[in-house]
Amino acid sequence: MRNSPPESPVSSVSERLSAADAQAPLPELFESLRPDLVRFAHWLARDRAIAEDIVQESLLRAWRSRDALKEPGAARAWLLTIVRREHARLYERKRLELVSLEDALETQPGPKLAEPDGELFNLRHAIMRLPIEYREPLLLQVIGGFSTEEIARELALSNTAVLTRLFRARNKLRVICGMAPAADVAGSEAGP
Amino acid sequence: MNCDEVRLLLGAEPGFSGTGVEEHLQSCAACRRFGEEMRTLDANIRRALGDAPPAVPQPRRAAPTWRVWALAASVALVTFGALGAWLLRPTDTLARDVVAHVMAEPESWLTAQQVTAQDIGEALHGAGVELNITSEKVTYAQSCWFRGHYVPHLVLQTASGPATVLILRHEPAGSSRAFREEGMSGMIVPARDGSFAVLTRGGGDVNLIAQAVQQDVRWLPDAH
Repeated sequence: MRNSPPESPVSSVSERLSAADAQAPLPELFESLRPDLVRFAHWLARDRAIAEDIVQESLLRAWRSRDALKEPGAARAWLLTIVRREHARLYERKRLELVSLEDALETQPGPKLAEPDGELFNLRHAIMRLPIEYREPLLLQVIGGFSTEEIARELALSNTAVLTRLFRARNKLRVICGMAPAADVAGSEAGP
Repeated sequence: MNCDEVRLLLGAEPGFSGTGVEEHLQSCAACRRFGEEMRTLDANIRRALGDAPPAVPQPRRAAPTWRVWALAASVALVTFGALGAWLLRPTDTLARDVVAHVMAEPESWLTAQQVTAQDIGEALHGAGVELNITSEKVTYAQSCWFRGHYVPHLVLQTASGPATVLILRHEPAGSSRAFREEGMSGMIVPARDGSFAVLTRGGGDVNLIAQAVQQDVRWLPDAH
């Protein structure tokens, strides 16, 4: 017996797997993608244990609605989409206690002591500090390989709104890499 | 295209290239420099996101005085509680994972309707076992992703309430191990191939259920 499938996370994302990966049986294919899914969920949720839970639940949902996956080559994008929705669902459902990241990071050792590459260390923390509305499209773009149009579809935003969020996300990160912040050329976000 | 339009595109997608952007860059050194900066930044972002994010410890805040006293007063209680919990702790990570999995599917306990033989067959697909359950009603049968494999997850309605059974062909166990966690009593039972887990909530007799399952499960010859 299978649970009634959740809403089909249809993806038009193009081929992003090697031919060998795409031809693997579905359980093996899902398992091979787990590290990417956990990394994506970890950056979204900022908590390793929650990320593991999200991925576990997402793989379960994916398995139950595996008939919706027409092309194994689209599995990665499809699973990332499910993970993103599961992350959103988790926060809607549980109203998880939020930890102030500023407070939390104050307890971290200095970047020079913690990691030789201080700039990269600071950049990673800066990405963690990005509000979810900026962090989410950035992760979909960089980790997921989604195009602006695909991100817009997934987040129910206009293309312009996605461009604006991506621009502002990177603009916030510029100073970490020693660049002056750019003038905000993005206008107000348009609706979907 | 003007500078603002080009910078919006390059700021959002540093790798973007299109006729309008390229033409503008030919004649605008400032935007060319901006584009190069954004590509450098993007390379760093990709490096930064290539690993898991940094660990974020829980912040520590000074507790109010009354809380300190309350904490001190509860130390003895916690000590005895911890001792009790230790005595009833899950014996290993497998037991913990089983409990976590069952807690993540609370609907499995709530279903009252008996599933069909076909449902059970689908849940057992690929697990290398057959079930010959005659005395109990099966109200939940799923093939669940668990520790890297799809495993049958069943709920049987027993005389003392619902009991969960997970058939874990990929999880060998040396001997039967009982545990208690989150209000559930459970047992990991070794089997011919791997093991199976039994959990109950309330007063179900795990031993009796485990014995019944042992009799009802038939491991197929080609399960290896």
